[in-house]
Amino acid sequence: MKLIDALAVARRPVAEDASPLKVFLACGFTPLHLETFLAAALSDRSPLERVEVTTGLFGDLAGNIERVEGEGPDVVVAVVEWQDLDARLGIRRLGGWRVEDLPDIVNSAERTMGRLEKAIIGAAELTPTYVSLPTLPLPPLFTTASAQASGYELQLRLCVSRLAATLAAHSRIRITSTQRLDEMSPLASRFDIQSELSAGFPYQLAHASAIAELLAALIRNSGPKKGLITDLDDTLWSGILGEDGVEGISWHLDQQTHTHGLYQQFLASLASAGVLTAVASKNDPALVEQAFDRQDLLIGKKSLYPIDAHWGPKSESVRRILKTWNIAADSVIFIDDSPMELAEVKAVFPEMECLLFPKSDPSAFWQLLRRLRDLFGKSILSEEDSIRLQSIRAAATLPGSSNGDTTSLDSFLRDAQATVVFTFGKQKDDHRAFELINKTNQFNLNGKRLNETSWTAYLNDPTTFVMTVSYEDKYGPLGKIAVLLGRVQGTVATINYWVMSCRAFSRRIEQQSLRWLFEELHLREVHFDYQPTERNKPICDFLSSIVGAPLNGDLRISMASFFEKCPPLFHQIKATANG
Amino acid sequence: MDNLEHRLVRCFSSVFPGLNEDQIRNASVDSVPDWHSLASVTLISVVQEEFGVQVGLTDLPNLVSFSAVQNYVQHHVTD
Repeated sequence: MKLIDALAVARRPVAEDASPLKVFLACGFTPLHLETFLAAALSDRSPLERVEVTTGLFGDLAGNIERVEGEGPDVVVAVVEWQDLDARLGIRRLGGWRVEDLPDIVNSAERTMGRLEKAIIGAAELTPTYVSLPTLPLPPLFTTASAQASGYELQLRLCVSRLAATLAAHSRIRITSTQRLDEMSPLASRFDIQSELSAGFPYQLAHASAIAELLAALIRNSGPKKGLITDLDDTLWSGILGEDGVEGISWHLDQQTHTHGLYQQFLASLASAGVLTAVASKNDPALVEQAFDRQDLLIGKKSLYPIDAHWGPKSESVRRILKTWNIAADSVIFIDDSPMELAEVKAVFPEMECLLFPKSDPSAFWQLLRRLRDLFGKSILSEEDSIRLQSIRAAATLPGSSNGDTTSLDSFLRDAQATVVFTFGKQKDDHRAFELINKTNQFNLNGKRLNETSWTAYLNDPTTFVMTVSYEDKYGPLGKIAVLLGRVQGTVATINYWVMSCRAFSRRIEQQSLRWLFEELHLREVHFDYQPTERNKPICDFLSSIVGAPLNGDLRISMASFFEKCPPLFHQIKATANG
Repeated sequence: MDNLEHRLVRCFSSVFPGLNEDQIRNASVDSVPDWHSLASVTLISVVQEEFGVQVGLTDLPNLVSFSAVQNYVQHHVTD
């Protein structure tokens, strides 16, 4: 983004009722254009928020971070440069670059990094914190020629790497990627010595814009995709199974088909991180079964579910897979080597992103892997990510409840040996609860989302409660699958947020959750902040079934009417308190 | 208004959004209260980026009006 455009975007009017996003930009240099670029990048990504960037004192990065208070900003951004670690690593102070000064510069930088680590972790306890570590070239203070790395330089870089790794382990701290920044902003074009000397602002405009873009992408990111559907022939492997046979397909270096092996390895990585992966292939199902028996495949059939092979249109497979996964098309990527197949699927599911597998172009293939990592990238993995596919397989054994066959469902649930765990407590680092609120569409009371700022504010409100629900039965654990957020006043509760993973449908967990609330909190009535959305029909149907009428905005359910409609529940209940 | 002047007006407008075109063409450090040191740095950065020129440290103190900036840019862009 050019500065002239950033100035216009940062000043763009927003709605009067827009919620503020208060950002504290902590840096040791004059924030100047970085402040403008950051405001613009955030405004672009989050046009419904009023971005307000404030800054601290010149030359006191650690102090600026240490002064962050609990009721202050929604977000803290710390931008560290070498001169913040020791002024002699910058050019505005003339403290000496003699040989005998170098060990002291390194020691002093190490001490400052210790202070910064403490300050940043302290800020993160109060507020989500985003950190950019030194991005500028070091000045020529070392005794080696520029082609040779100095031992002192390497010590400094090691300290910064240690600091980065320590901070990254904290659940409320995010570090910008130096690799991504290197791609966006060449090292030689970052430092503006004239601007540093005249204004105390060390960045070239393009570099300031790149840092701001990266930070904004961390602060306001779109959620990751949930599933990937892949073709087989000339995609998961090289060759046509029906023509080349099970032994004729390949994915190895010696056959010049190695990119398919890398693709398998990449899909296995996605699957292990909780991304749903499935196959849609025009093929003979029996032959596909044989192919997946090959022991040298890098992704096993356990990681791919369902595997839908037949000779009909691919969109039929995609439809069946989406139904099995119970997720929407816009959460899924479809990959095929055939533009025609991509077009056929795209015509039926226009909201689905359909990507070409470039079987003959390694560079394009490399770009595809990078694009996929961006589409599926997660800040933090949860325990539920590792059991998602297992629970979807288990769900396939559930008898349908929507067809009115409650007798067989009763029988199944009675036999399921299910345990529901209710946990009351407010944990800022409960990423699973936060994730559920922000990605659940179908069983979602009103479609409202929470960013890290509003999540923290909700948890800090003493009048609110948070109840999370975990589930396990003899088919395996589903993990944490539901979250209720609300307020209790006397014998009346108001539910502001209620989401439940689609993997947990048809187990009467929603009824058990309400029953538990009524009984444990001694409630007479529950009010729901219900709003219809394009996708929340499942919760609408559930609540309508209790109310016995179409829902309106003012939804209240009394204890008597709930228990009158509540079906038999067979779960064993456990309750815990946390935080 | 020629193309260079039009682009320069746009630069000034991005830094001083409260001024109309006439006020911009007559703008100077003395006539525009918001033209403080920070605005000056921002203005010169916008102009450098827009016209691909590098304003020298010694030239900065002289760029105190629209016409001064216009003359500077005309001189350095045509060079």
